Amino acid sequence: MPEYTALAVLSVLGTVAAEVLWLRTGIFRRAQYWIAMVIIYCFHVLVDGWLTKLSAPIVIYDGSQITGLRVPWDIPVEDYLFGFSMLTLTLMLWVRLGDRSAGRDGSAAREGSARPDRTDRTDRTDRPTTQEAP
Amino acid sequence: MDDRYQYLLLMAGCLLITLPLEFVLRARVYRRPRRLLLSLLPVLVIFLVWDIVGIVRGHWSYSHTYTTGIHVPFEVPLEEVVFFVVIPICGLLTYEAVGTVLGWWRQWRGHDA
Repeated sequence: MPEYTALAVLSVLGTVAAEVLWLRTGIFRRAQYWIAMVIIYCFHVLVDGWLTKLSAPIVIYDGSQITGLRVPWDIPVEDYLFGFSMLTLTLMLWVRLGDRSAGRDGSAAREGSARPDRTDRTDRTDRPTTQEAP
Repeated sequence: MDDRYQYLLLMAGCLLITLPLEFVLRARVYRRPRRLLLSLLPVLVIFLVWDIVGIVRGHWSYSHTYTTGIHVPFEVPLEEVVFFVVIPICGLLTYEAVGTVLGWWRQWRGHDA
Protein backbone atom coordinates (compact mmCIF):
# COMPACT_ATOMS: atom_id res chain seq x y z
CA MET A 1 0.00 0.00 0.00
CA PRO A 2 1.39 3.49 -0.84
CA GLU A 3 2.68 5.31 2.22
CA TYR A 4 0.27 8.26 2.20
CA THR A 5 -2.61 5.83 1.70
CA ALA A 6 -1.44 3.77 4.68
CA LEU A 7 -0.98 6.82 6.91
CA ALA A 8 -4.40 8.17 5.91
CA VAL A 9 -6.10 4.87 6.81
CA LEU A 10 -4.15 4.73 10.07
CA SER A 11 -5.23 8.27 10.96
CA VAL A 12 -8.90 7.31 10.63
CA LEU A 13 -8.37 4.27 12.86
CA GLY A 14 -6.47 6.45 15.34
CA THR A 15 -9.24 9.05 15.38
CA VAL A 16 -11.93 6.45 16.01
CA ALA A 17 -9.74 4.85 18.69
CA ALA A 18 -9.25 8.24 20.37
CA GLU A 19 -13.03 8.62 20.57
CA VAL A 20 -13.75 5.08 21.78
CA LEU A 21 -10.87 4.69 24.22
CA TRP A 22 -10.23 8.19 25.46
CA LEU A 23 -12.45 11.17 24.58
CA ARG A 24 -15.85 9.40 24.58
CA THR A 25 -17.78 12.44 23.41
CA GLY A 26 -20.56 10.43 21.76
CA ILE A 27 -20.09 12.62 18.69
CA PHE A 28 -20.64 9.71 16.26
CA ARG A 29 -24.17 9.32 17.63
CA ARG A 30 -25.07 12.94 16.94
CA ALA A 31 -26.99 14.14 13.91
CA GLN A 32 -25.23 17.50 14.44
CA TYR A 33 -21.86 15.86 13.69
CA TRP A 34 -22.93 13.97 10.58
CA ILE A 35 -24.83 16.92 9.08
CA ALA A 36 -21.82 19.17 9.75
CA MET A 37 -19.46 16.64 8.11
CA VAL A 38 -21.62 16.51 4.95
CA ILE A 39 -21.46 20.30 4.71
CA ILE A 40 -17.72 20.30 5.48
CA TYR A 41 -17.06 17.74 2.73
CA CYS A 42 -18.92 19.91 0.19
CA PHE A 43 -16.53 22.76 0.91
CA HIS A 44 -13.59 20.36 1.23
CA VAL A 45 -14.12 19.39 -2.43
CA LEU A 46 -14.02 23.03 -3.52
CA VAL A 47 -10.92 24.00 -1.50
CA ASP A 48 -9.00 20.76 -2.01
CA GLY A 49 -10.03 20.71 -5.67
CA TRP A 50 -8.33 24.09 -6.05
CA LEU A 51 -5.24 22.99 -4.08
CA THR A 52 -4.69 19.77 -6.04
CA LYS A 53 -5.80 20.62 -9.59
CA LEU A 54 -3.15 19.15 -11.85
CA SER A 55 -3.28 22.08 -14.28
CA ALA A 56 -1.85 24.42 -11.61
CA PRO A 57 -1.33 22.50 -8.37
CA ILE A 58 -0.52 24.18 -5.06
CA VAL A 59 0.08 20.81 -3.40
CA ILE A 60 1.96 18.34 -5.59
CA TYR A 61 1.69 14.62 -4.80
CA ASP A 62 4.21 11.93 -5.62
CA GLY A 63 2.26 9.47 -7.74
CA SER A 64 4.00 6.50 -6.13
CA GLN A 65 2.84 7.48 -2.61
CA ILE A 66 -0.90 7.52 -3.39
CA THR A 67 -3.34 5.07 -4.96
CA GLY A 68 -3.71 7.43 -7.91
CA LEU A 69 -7.48 7.46 -7.47
CA ARG A 70 -8.51 11.11 -7.84
CA VAL A 71 -12.15 12.15 -7.50
CA PRO A 72 -13.69 14.55 -8.34
CA TRP A 73 -11.29 16.51 -10.50
CA ASP A 74 -7.75 15.75 -9.25
CA ILE A 75 -8.34 15.28 -5.51
CA PRO A 76 -6.50 12.18 -4.21
CA VAL A 77 -9.01 10.01 -2.31
CA GLU A 78 -6.55 9.88 0.59
CA ASP A 79 -7.30 13.54 1.26
CA TYR A 80 -10.84 12.64 2.36
CA LEU A 81 -9.42 10.40 5.09
CA PHE A 82 -6.95 13.12 6.09
CA GLY A 83 -9.85 15.59 6.25
CA PHE A 84 -12.00 13.21 8.28
CA SER A 85 -9.27 12.75 10.87
CA MET A 86 -8.37 16.42 11.15
CA LEU A 87 -11.93 17.72 11.42
CA THR A 88 -13.28 14.89 13.57
CA LEU A 89 -10.43 15.21 16.05
CA THR A 90 -10.98 18.97 16.27
CA LEU A 91 -14.72 18.54 16.85
CA MET A 92 -14.15 15.80 19.44
CA LEU A 93 -11.76 17.99 21.41
CA TRP A 94 -14.15 20.94 21.17
CA VAL A 95 -17.07 18.87 22.44
CA ARG A 96 -14.97 17.31 25.17
CA LEU A 97 -13.73 20.70 26.38
CA GLY A 98 -17.34 21.90 26.45
CA ASP A 99 -18.15 18.97 28.72
CA ARG A 100 -15.37 19.89 31.08
CA SER A 101 -16.07 23.59 31.42
CA ALA A 102 -19.74 22.77 31.90
CA GLY A 103 -18.84 20.33 34.64
CA ARG A 104 -16.35 22.54 36.41
CA ASP A 105 -18.48 25.59 37.04
CA GLY A 106 -21.75 23.73 36.85
CA SER A 107 -23.17 26.03 34.24
CA ALA A 108 -23.94 23.63 31.46
CA ALA A 109 -26.23 26.27 30.05
CA ARG A 110 -23.45 28.80 29.63
CA GLU A 111 -20.94 26.79 27.67
CA GLY A 112 -23.47 24.62 25.91
CA SER A 113 -23.80 21.03 26.94
CA ALA A 114 -21.75 18.52 25.04
CA ARG A 115 -23.41 15.51 26.53
CA PRO A 116 -24.57 13.09 23.88
CA ASP A 117 -28.03 12.80 25.44
CA ARG A 118 -28.85 16.46 25.03
CA THR A 119 -27.86 18.13 21.83
CA ASP A 120 -30.25 21.03 21.65
CA ARG A 121 -29.16 24.26 23.19
CA THR A 122 -32.37 26.17 23.30
CA ASP A 123 -32.14 26.40 27.07
CA ARG A 124 -29.11 28.61 26.96
CA THR A 125 -29.62 31.77 28.88
CA ASP A 126 -27.04 33.97 27.23
CA ARG A 127 -28.61 34.17 23.85
CA PRO A 128 -31.93 35.66 22.89
CA THR A 129 -34.60 33.07 22.39
CA THR A 130 -37.06 33.21 19.57
CA GLN A 131 -39.61 31.42 21.70
CA GLU A 132 -42.21 33.76 23.13
CA ALA A 133 -43.07 33.52 26.77
CA PRO A 134 -46.52 32.07 27.30
CA MET B 1 -2.83 39.48 -8.01
CA ASP B 2 0.58 38.08 -7.15
CA ASP B 3 0.43 34.31 -7.62
CA ARG B 4 2.52 33.49 -4.59
CA TYR B 5 -0.30 34.63 -2.29
CA GLN B 6 -2.77 32.21 -3.87
CA TYR B 7 -2.68 29.61 -1.08
CA LEU B 8 -2.93 32.29 1.62
CA LEU B 9 -5.78 34.03 -0.22
CA LEU B 10 -7.64 30.74 -0.45
CA MET B 11 -7.35 30.40 3.35
CA ALA B 12 -8.47 34.01 3.83
CA GLY B 13 -11.48 33.24 1.65
CA CYS B 14 -12.36 30.27 3.89
CA LEU B 15 -12.30 32.49 7.00
CA LEU B 16 -14.36 35.19 5.27
CA ILE B 17 -17.02 32.82 3.99
CA THR B 18 -17.49 31.12 7.37
CA LEU B 19 -17.40 34.33 9.43
CA PRO B 20 -21.18 34.96 9.19
CA LEU B 21 -21.76 31.60 10.92
CA GLU B 22 -20.35 33.12 14.11
CA PHE B 23 -22.96 35.88 14.13
CA VAL B 24 -25.91 34.95 11.92
CA LEU B 25 -26.05 31.32 13.05
CA ARG B 26 -24.67 32.09 16.53
CA ALA B 27 -21.82 29.59 16.39
CA ARG B 28 -19.96 31.34 19.25
CA VAL B 29 -16.63 29.77 18.32
CA TYR B 30 -14.48 32.91 18.25
CA ARG B 31 -16.23 34.06 21.41
CA ARG B 32 -14.93 31.04 23.32
CA PRO B 33 -11.21 31.67 22.68
CA ARG B 34 -9.81 29.40 25.41
CA ARG B 35 -11.85 26.39 24.30
CA LEU B 36 -11.00 27.22 20.67
CA LEU B 37 -7.27 27.41 21.36
CA LEU B 38 -7.23 24.17 23.36
CA SER B 39 -9.13 22.37 20.56
CA LEU B 40 -6.84 23.68 17.83
CA LEU B 41 -3.45 23.16 19.47
CA PRO B 42 -3.27 19.34 19.62
CA VAL B 43 -4.62 19.09 16.07
CA LEU B 44 -2.06 21.64 14.85
CA VAL B 45 0.79 19.68 16.45
CA ILE B 46 -0.35 16.25 15.20
CA PHE B 47 -0.98 17.40 11.64
CA LEU B 48 2.19 19.47 11.44
CA VAL B 49 4.11 16.32 12.37
CA TRP B 50 2.23 14.44 9.66
CA ASP B 51 3.00 17.24 7.22
CA ILE B 52 6.70 17.04 8.06
CA VAL B 53 6.64 13.25 7.57
CA GLY B 54 4.91 13.79 4.21
CA ILE B 55 7.50 16.34 3.13
CA VAL B 56 10.52 14.33 4.36
CA ARG B 57 9.23 11.06 2.88
CA GLY B 58 8.37 12.81 -0.38
CA HIS B 59 4.61 12.14 -0.28
CA TRP B 60 3.95 15.74 -1.33
CA SER B 61 5.59 19.07 -2.02
CA TYR B 62 4.38 22.62 -2.45
CA SER B 63 4.33 24.85 -5.49
CA HIS B 64 6.92 27.59 -5.43
CA THR B 65 4.69 29.64 -7.69
CA TYR B 66 1.62 29.69 -5.44
CA THR B 67 3.25 29.94 -1.99
CA THR B 68 5.14 32.81 -0.39
CA GLY B 69 8.32 30.80 0.15
CA ILE B 70 8.21 31.56 3.87
CA HIS B 71 8.94 28.40 5.83
CA VAL B 72 8.65 27.36 9.45
CA PRO B 73 11.23 24.76 10.59
CA PHE B 74 11.43 21.39 8.76
CA GLU B 75 10.67 23.02 5.39
CA VAL B 76 6.98 23.40 6.21
CA PRO B 77 5.47 26.31 4.27
CA LEU B 78 3.84 29.00 6.40
CA GLU B 79 0.67 28.33 4.43
CA GLU B 80 0.41 24.84 5.91
CA VAL B 81 0.43 26.20 9.46
CA VAL B 82 -2.31 28.61 8.43
CA PHE B 83 -4.23 25.71 6.85
CA PHE B 84 -4.14 23.64 10.06
CA VAL B 85 -5.61 26.58 11.98
CA VAL B 86 -8.11 27.92 9.44
CA ILE B 87 -9.74 24.68 8.30
CA PRO B 88 -10.44 23.36 11.83
CA ILE B 89 -11.96 26.77 12.71
CA CYS B 90 -14.21 26.49 9.65
CA GLY B 91 -15.20 22.99 10.80
CA LEU B 92 -16.04 24.18 14.31
CA LEU B 93 -18.11 27.09 12.96
CA THR B 94 -20.01 24.65 10.73
CA TYR B 95 -20.61 22.23 13.60
CA GLU B 96 -21.90 24.93 15.95
CA ALA B 97 -24.00 26.55 13.22
CA VAL B 98 -25.64 23.17 12.53
CA GLY B 99 -26.27 22.91 16.28
CA THR B 100 -28.04 26.28 16.26
CA VAL B 101 -30.21 25.36 13.28
CA LEU B 102 -31.07 21.98 14.82
CA GLY B 103 -32.03 23.81 18.01
CA TRP B 104 -34.32 26.13 16.08
CA TRP B 105 -35.82 23.20 14.23
CA ARG B 106 -36.51 21.29 17.45
CA GLN B 107 -38.06 24.38 18.98
CA TRP B 108 -40.25 24.92 15.92
CA ARG B 109 -41.28 21.25 15.94
CA GLY B 110 -42.07 21.53 19.63
CA HIS B 111 -44.34 24.50 18.91
CA ASP B 112 -46.08 22.63 16.14
CA ALA B 113 -46.91 19.64 18.30
